[in-house]
Amino acid sequence: MKRFLPLFALALCSVLPVVGLNSYAMHIAILVIMWATIGMAWNLLGGYCGQVSFGHAAYFGVGAYTAGIFYSKLGLSPWWGIPASIAVVLLFSFLLGFVVLRLRGPFFALATLASGEVMRVTAENLDGFTGGSLGIMIQERTWVGKTWYYYIILLIAAVTFFLVRKLMQSKLGYYFLAIREDQDAAESLGINTTLYKTIALCLSGILTGIAGAFYTNYMGYIDPNVVFALHDISIIAIMIVMVGGAATYWGPFVGALIMVLLAEIIRSVPGLGAAHQTLFGILLIVIIIFLPNGIVGDSKKLKRLFGFQRASS
Amino acid sequence: MYVIRLEVFLQTLISGLLLGGLYGLIGLGMTLIMGVMKIINLAHGELMMVAMYIAYWLFVLFHIDPYLSVFIAAPLLFILGVAIQKYLVNPVLKVESILPENQVILTVGIGMVLANLATIFFTSDYRSTPVSYATNAFYLSDFWKDSPIELSLSVPWAVSFVFAVVITIILWFFLSKTDTGKSIRATAQDLDAAILMGVNVKRMRVVTFGLGSALVGTAGCLLIPIYYLYPSLGGQFTLIAFVITILGGLGSTVGAILGGLILGVFESMTSTYLSMGWAPVGRFVIFVACLMFLPGGVASLLRKKRVGK
Amino acid sequence: MMRRLSAAMVAFFVGSLFSVSLMAADTFELVIPLPLTGKQAKFGEMMKRSYEMAAEEINAKGGIKKKKLVLGFEDSSAKPETARAIVEKLIDVKKQPIIVGEYTSACAKAVAAVAEERKTPYLVVASADDNITQQNYKYVFRQNAVNDHYGDGVVSFLKAVVKPTTIAILYESSAFGTSGADAMVKDAEKAGTKIVLKEKYEAGSVDFKPLLTKVKATRPDVIYMVSYVMDASLLMKQIKELRIDAKLFAGGAAGFAIPEFIDNAKDAAEYVISATLWTPQLKYPGAQEYAERYRKKYGEYPSYHGASAYSALFVVKSALEKAKDWTPEKIRDALKVTDMTTAFGPIKFENKEGYQNQNFMETLVIQVQKGQFETIWPLNHASKKYVFPIPTWRERR
Repeated sequence: MKRFLPLFALALCSVLPVVGLNSYAMHIAILVIMWATIGMAWNLLGGYCGQVSFGHAAYFGVGAYTAGIFYSKLGLSPWWGIPASIAVVLLFSFLLGFVVLRLRGPFFALATLASGEVMRVTAENLDGFTGGSLGIMIQERTWVGKTWYYYIILLIAAVTFFLVRKLMQSKLGYYFLAIREDQDAAESLGINTTLYKTIALCLSGILTGIAGAFYTNYMGYIDPNVVFALHDISIIAIMIVMVGGAATYWGPFVGALIMVLLAEIIRSVPGLGAAHQTLFGILLIVIIIFLPNGIVGDSKKLKRLFGFQRASS
Repeated sequence: MYVIRLEVFLQTLISGLLLGGLYGLIGLGMTLIMGVMKIINLAHGELMMVAMYIAYWLFVLFHIDPYLSVFIAAPLLFILGVAIQKYLVNPVLKVESILPENQVILTVGIGMVLANLATIFFTSDYRSTPVSYATNAFYLSDFWKDSPIELSLSVPWAVSFVFAVVITIILWFFLSKTDTGKSIRATAQDLDAAILMGVNVKRMRVVTFGLGSALVGTAGCLLIPIYYLYPSLGGQFTLIAFVITILGGLGSTVGAILGGLILGVFESMTSTYLSMGWAPVGRFVIFVACLMFLPGGVASLLRKKRVGK
Repeated sequence: MMRRLSAAMVAFFVGSLFSVSLMAADTFELVIPLPLTGKQAKFGEMMKRSYEMAAEEINAKGGIKKKKLVLGFEDSSAKPETARAIVEKLIDVKKQPIIVGEYTSACAKAVAAVAEERKTPYLVVASADDNITQQNYKYVFRQNAVNDHYGDGVVSFLKAVVKPTTIAILYESSAFGTSGADAMVKDAEKAGTKIVLKEKYEAGSVDFKPLLTKVKATRPDVIYMVSYVMDASLLMKQIKELRIDAKLFAGGAAGFAIPEFIDNAKDAAEYVISATLWTPQLKYPGAQEYAERYRKKYGEYPSYHGASAYSALFVVKSALEKAKDWTPEKIRDALKVTDMTTAFGPIKFENKEGYQNQNFMETLVIQVQKGQFETIWPLNHASKKYVFPIPTWRERR
């Protein structure tokens, strides 16, 4: 039964638009799936390979701008940005990884945080190329209705899910885990840690970049402060995986669902909207202290808390 | 022509040094925390913001000059730092989890809460403390009547610089001459040896976090007359503090000041001779270059020199 | 307990997703998206108050075609995705036939795209980026001036009175700063003024002195700055510290045109001129009454954003009264032929200079005199005479 869970979930999701949700609910659904994709990508590098990146916005933004620049400078449909972003983000991740992967743990985290910010400033300054702070606006989006966007992002998420799972079940997955647990021991066992860390980073980057290219197509407007945002993209990516469960397959989905819904609820309640970051911050602190492996990772702990399992078991 | 160029260079240098002094003080708190506890505190800038709000309200409600608020804000920040360490950071250090970087993420959460609480209570309006001497300056032409160039030394900036240097000296004495200070350094150098020598390591960590918070709070009080205040100002200063910590060397007070001065002058020079828009990129470049080529920071250079002799 | 709580939360959320607004037959509901939280909350708040004041007046005089105007507000936090989601909800779910509001240009662009797709008219109230009305959109109307024209008043003042030979331009690295600076470059070149420096800076910087030292070295006649309020105050304070003398200091609206600038820069703000779109001293019908009523209620004068928001509802009223019925198409047609004078100024949507459905208004110049803003240009709108030439920093002590 458990083996078929992913296919079952996919089938369920595919039927969702037919049920007849209004466009607002579809928008939420698309956001959840997009964030789940970003979460899974981050999880690959962070949860499984142990390299905690605070700058995933960099890949997201590069992917987004690839699609945007295809439209604004080359006059092509921004959908070409999705396959193109694979190549562009691959190159970018490789170069970035060359610099930051030689740093360990918290220093890596800081370097990635700085890199996200640097990309933002770069996008602002290269205004001849990126339009600077004016951003890129797509005049006519491909579809007015949401259904096709939903299926596209669902496809992207499904591919990501199966890719991550396949990867982690392969030898590569073991290498990642070994690096996470003890990089020096892994190196001494003959594992080329630099190679595998680079692979993890590039894959993680590419998947995030594809989500970014999708975002450009879906939202129709991007600018440096939106797609390279530290708090709105990089930190949300981390929160999604921490809340859902690092190093789990379903964690990012659970995390994305909770975070997006939570954000919408908070925004809709007047007066509470201003406290949005406080509530997120408190949620983050609580999760870190009490449920450090996230909801899926610490599901046993959670079940005990709610009395679903007897404490003695 | 050359006179103008000289004026530009000297004025830029002065600005850079003054800025650097302040930067150094901001980095001092962080280098202490990172050196002793190996904890990355991404809420550093937000702690400074809290101190700045304290100074602001003291100014608005009781007309206390920001420089005097240091004596109120610093102790308050110390208490806040101790509380954060004891009740939030310590529990996390104990918990078993997959990712070792949990404590960094914890500080991110703390920072978010602090910044947002400030927004809720004080709104995101910009605030400042317009003291009467805010734009006063010492001018070269006042002292040297026929000087060909005009240099100005801003009063509040100069005061902040002096304060920063004095505090660094006091801190240096504290760390090298007092028992508590030496215990802190011991904890930083070798945790196990310190325990064996009878140092109350737990207490030292808590004290260090408090001390680091008090230091950044002091920097905030010194900053508010020359800048302004809003809830999300923490971010850019946290980043600056990191660059200085790495540049100067973890745990080194002298390194922090030197690192600050180097960064300050570097930023000023690039602002004048290149462009101001690329400042964050410059910081990142220094940061990464340091991590890659000089991981011990400036302090390691100084140590090498001493040992070499 | 947790299960019940989470069930309640889900029910609440699902309920709000599928909510249909119950519109009573004798009201017209207008929900306005704007930033009520986040960095732009102050402007959002000011616009909200102005909208409310306008609605009160409209309802006191009988409403729109005998229907009461009921306002609602949704907070976008100045995030384009949120603004877009709000407007999609308003059009798709609530079937609102006209959209008004938003503040930042990024959000206005997101909303404009949605409105155009769904063929619903959108009235832009305060967003300045030129390209919002350059997209050949048929449904997007803008009543405030575009960034490119913000500085017109200042330019004409410089040309007539100051006649500078050199100008230095400093601007923040945002869209607003960049387009304001580019517009001034164009105007300066047309007037034959030499641009000795054009430099951008990152908003929120602590130390402008290196940049200003560079400016000082070029000895410009006029220093033109395009900034938001705190950078504007810091710039003037540090200019005073460095004793940089110029024939005139000029700001490109925004940060230089709001009272906080004077509060924070204090005496360093004296004699600084700025472009602005509206002042409380103007003689347009209802302008001074609106300004005084706002000040009595909230303790300070509103800025031009407030005046624009206030007048926008009157523009909406006029369109709704002219429209044959209240479908988006007909409201759009009525909006297109708007030709009225409001408290904000004259409003007429034209297709000119590559803009569509854009209102072209005179922009004004204000100067800080004795710690207050006075309108100084054009002369027919002036509340006081301009001060030029201005004393040097040394003389001011």
